[in-house]
Amino acid sequence: MSTTMVWTIISIYIVIALVIAYLSRSGKQTNMASYFLGDRKLNGFVSALSYSATTYSAFMLVGLAGLTYNGGVGAFGFEIIYFMGVSLVALFGPRFWLVGKKYGYVTPSEMLGDRYNSKAVAIVVSISSCVFLIPYSAVQLAGVGYLLQGVTNDAIPFTTGVIIATVLAIVFSYIAGMRSVAWTDSLQSLMMVLTSTVVVILIIRGLGGLGGFFGALETNQPESLTVPGNGFFSFTSFLSLTIPWFFFSISNPQVSQRLFMPASLKSLRQMLMGFLIFGFIYTVVSVVWGFSASIMFPGLENADLATPKLLSSELVPPILGAIVMVGIMAAAISTIDSILLTLSSLFARDVYGNIKKGSNDRKQLTVGKVIIPIIAVLSYLFAQLELDLIAVLSVSASAGLIVVVPSIIGAFFWRRGTAPAVWASVSISGVMVILLEFTQTTPLGLGSGIWGILLASLLFVSVSFATTAPKQKANEFLNYLKTEMNTLKKSKSKRNVS
Amino acid sequence: MTSHEKKLGIVLLIIVLLSYIIPYMMLSHVASWYGSFLFWSIAAIVIIIINYLLTRDWGDNE
Repeated sequence: MSTTMVWTIISIYIVIALVIAYLSRSGKQTNMASYFLGDRKLNGFVSALSYSATTYSAFMLVGLAGLTYNGGVGAFGFEIIYFMGVSLVALFGPRFWLVGKKYGYVTPSEMLGDRYNSKAVAIVVSISSCVFLIPYSAVQLAGVGYLLQGVTNDAIPFTTGVIIATVLAIVFSYIAGMRSVAWTDSLQSLMMVLTSTVVVILIIRGLGGLGGFFGALETNQPESLTVPGNGFFSFTSFLSLTIPWFFFSISNPQVSQRLFMPASLKSLRQMLMGFLIFGFIYTVVSVVWGFSASIMFPGLENADLATPKLLSSELVPPILGAIVMVGIMAAAISTIDSILLTLSSLFARDVYGNIKKGSNDRKQLTVGKVIIPIIAVLSYLFAQLELDLIAVLSVSASAGLIVVVPSIIGAFFWRRGTAPAVWASVSISGVMVILLEFTQTTPLGLGSGIWGILLASLLFVSVSFATTAPKQKANEFLNYLKTEMNTLKKSKSKRNVS
Repeated sequence: MTSHEKKLGIVLLIIVLLSYIIPYMMLSHVASWYGSFLFWSIAAIVIIIINYLLTRDWGDNE
């Protein structure tokens, strides 16, 4: 791929994204909710596209395609089970949204702190999010560096790619907070799903249509159409991979925070349905992509090369290949900038806001804005260092964040849950996940995420029974939700009758 | 949880469980597009329909 073409497309992307980010500004963002939650006024369409862009990082077209290349159809099953987990939004979404509006929550950890009546809960949960998500961002940044370096044959050095991604993530977050992130995300995901679908159509056509495509798989590598297939997706590894991702939509603060943002429940619904349709198309596209690479380029040493190989093949016009390449870079940035905003809001609201006496919303906003570039630079430095620990923390991000799931379920469905139970389950299970990942231990063949959620559930329930629950807050919180959820149903029945 | 949520939640849970059981137990020898690939695709579409039904009542009250 020619370097000039890649640079030209990067420049066009930057200009369009900056214009969109600038246009997204509306009103003065003088408080936490307006800056970090887009004033709780995002419409359904933007929410859906932005949710998709944040969820699907560069992992999809590089990582998932690579997983399919290596392990076959099991990669599709893995991503579909993750996709099914997004149904948790149908259950938790309206509840997050209702209490977010009533109590003015800006972050999911603030919500937990208030519900369990403990500032320490908010602090512990937000610190555990930072521990896993900063390294995760660092690895995304490094991904951009490797990608640009790879497709231009070292003409764009690793560091240049990482710097571009870091600067853009900061700029998109800064222009108008969540608004600019949401709008640039939407541009990115729309462009990505369109161009990658065109690439897949071209490739399938080149391989002799759907009949030729599946025919080649059935003849040359039949095991790729079954699980466990070649053994890559043994049942235990499938389970270990899918369980943490099933809970992604509530365990990862950069996506669960999105549940506070839609303007109405109708917008929240559009966000969920839009994401499901987008996600299904994108999943099929990424998997077909990986399969195509395995037909066209069998025997690659590194499966992550499947995507660059495919895009440089004669079946894809060079300009389209370059656009998708830059789109993958944009996908990484759209994930990083959302994580940056979320982590800054967590730090400002839950750590600074709870520790510093006399802090108000305005001061928290200032701290949040100051912390954005600091977290970005920290991620940049981690990306440069390429430390083992960073890679371990990044890989264990989905497993490490799962430990908060019992506390979140308890917040909405169990009056008996207590603050000490949250501290114990989040911190002890989190440390265990890191240790298991660091020592590469898989007891009984099961991964750290499964042990993480088992231990977190056990600790949450047992410690809750041994300590006193914040009865008054729990009753107020849960009774409010019960009334509202029932009203939702009744108002619908009433509309149907009249 | 409302009764509507409970009913659809159970259907959803069954589909998730089948998405582990069927490909590993019943389709592990069907090396074709109509094996696990088709099964997971249909399961995903059923999930989209369940989500549609689960969220039908969500109105535009701000």
